[in-house]
Amino acid sequence: MQSRRTVWLLLAPALAVYGLFVLWPIAQSVRFSLFVGSEAVGGHFARLLLRPDGRFLRALGNNVLLVLLSLLIQLPCAMGLALLLSGRLPGRGVFRTIFFAPMVIPTVAIGFLWRFIYQPGWQGGLLNQLLMLVGLGTVDWLGNPGIDLFAIIVTVSWRHVGFHTVIFLAGLQGIPEEIYEAARIDGATVWETFRDITLPMMRPVIAVSATLSLVGSLKYFDIFYVMSPVGGTRGSADLVTTYMYRTAFSALNHGYGSAIAVTLLVITLLVAVPAMRLLQGRRTQ
Amino acid sequence: MKTWRPFRFSIAAVLSVIFGYPLLWMVLTSFKSRAELEASAWSLPTRFYLGNFRDVLSMGHFGRYYLNSIVVCGVSVAVASLAAAAAAYAFARLRFRGKEALFLLLLSGMMIPVHVTLIPLHRMMSSLGLLNSPVALIGPYIAFALPVSTFILRAFFESLPRDVEDAAQLDGCSPIGAFWHVALPLAAPALATVIIFNFVYMWNEFAFALTLTSGTTTTLPVGIYEVSRSSFSTHVPGMTAGLTIGVIPGLIVYFIAQKHIVKGMTAGALGG
Repeated sequence: MQSRRTVWLLLAPALAVYGLFVLWPIAQSVRFSLFVGSEAVGGHFARLLLRPDGRFLRALGNNVLLVLLSLLIQLPCAMGLALLLSGRLPGRGVFRTIFFAPMVIPTVAIGFLWRFIYQPGWQGGLLNQLLMLVGLGTVDWLGNPGIDLFAIIVTVSWRHVGFHTVIFLAGLQGIPEEIYEAARIDGATVWETFRDITLPMMRPVIAVSATLSLVGSLKYFDIFYVMSPVGGTRGSADLVTTYMYRTAFSALNHGYGSAIAVTLLVITLLVAVPAMRLLQGRRTQ
Repeated sequence: MKTWRPFRFSIAAVLSVIFGYPLLWMVLTSFKSRAELEASAWSLPTRFYLGNFRDVLSMGHFGRYYLNSIVVCGVSVAVASLAAAAAAYAFARLRFRGKEALFLLLLSGMMIPVHVTLIPLHRMMSSLGLLNSPVALIGPYIAFALPVSTFILRAFFESLPRDVEDAAQLDGCSPIGAFWHVALPLAAPALATVIIFNFVYMWNEFAFALTLTSGTTTTLPVGIYEVSRSSFSTHVPGMTAGLTIGVIPGLIVYFIAQKHIVKGMTAGALGG
């Protein structure tokens, strides 16, 4: 009854588009990375990895920092907010709306908004004017190679914390009220209740958030590209994606850009596939 | 815990004011003159000044950006949702060789950085004469929307009871007919989630739009980018006016349909 033709008809549109605009370009990228603009096959990779390209290593290190700080800032903040907003609280919906709002705004708008918040100098931005008001000196947040990366990570966290908050809120709702009831009768403190009930029960939800944050941080692009037009000072605020983009479309080096992109793909898959596996295993348990 | 409530409320209120302030500031500043802003970035506008909006509307082509965004997102969302639904139905209901491998191949798209496709797609669109045309965005948008959409819809189809489709097929309906006339209408709630998820993702998409379009051919995010970049150093209130024009309509839709949008955007994470 279910002929091959049926299967083919249902799958064809999706697979055709996916093949043409995802798989084929990836194959092309691999080809460019090996053969375009390099004297020897694989010359780009030799330059990238064996004769280490400092800018690339810096960008990769920044990506690792972004991954770690995203996990360490966004998830605890989101957990705190979710606990704050869980249960009966007047105006809860309004609070949730506000915390989630940055997620629906174009990243470009967020980038420019925060560029002005961090703006130095005579037309000082919001943050520096606040510092002056309380009698402190001003800081060139985005022009200082030791600070720019962290300033942008704060912006990225501002955008994403509401997303994880909503996911955690959904997780908190799944914990049966009776367990808390029982803990209260046993005289457990607030901290004990959180440590022994909430946290273990939330583990699957936290794992989902952590995986999304991990994969998302590895391929992050938008806000960094907008807030740091040249990648900071000697790459101080470059990510692998922004370095790749500038190499390919500003320096117009398609071959080397492709090599960076292919390396990023391999790294992402090496990290993401085990993480997804772990997650899938947890879910089906 | 009851005594905690006023305390919790005040903390939540203070945090949400701090958190929401950048957006509020953006709107307030768009009504301030340059002199007012230079006097203080924190002051409120003293009058309802519309000059910034006039300036920024003469710099950008916001009508075009919105039109391009609506057309590109509309077409891409419609095609992606239908194609994903058909594929998801096959993965959920039909048996064929290599099913799980194919599904995994499609799913891996969720992890693939779009940047690995940018150079080849730029070359492809350039040789097709589609560079600097909003049409160039439709293919990549559909392709990168398929993985999550198929994932969510497959889970939904698998949760539906088979009886109705079986009955339809006994009545002489083909498997495709059962999909189109029976399963697809039943999947309306999951389709709504997928449509919202993809629409928000595409509405805000930046990397493809930056690579493949510009000027009057681009969508809202790159439009905002070009206008803001040219006004950032010289005309900050103009920049905030541009951001306000670019952001507020979407925010209003979000405030109205908040429940659906939040659900749609977190569905991928929460397993549909």
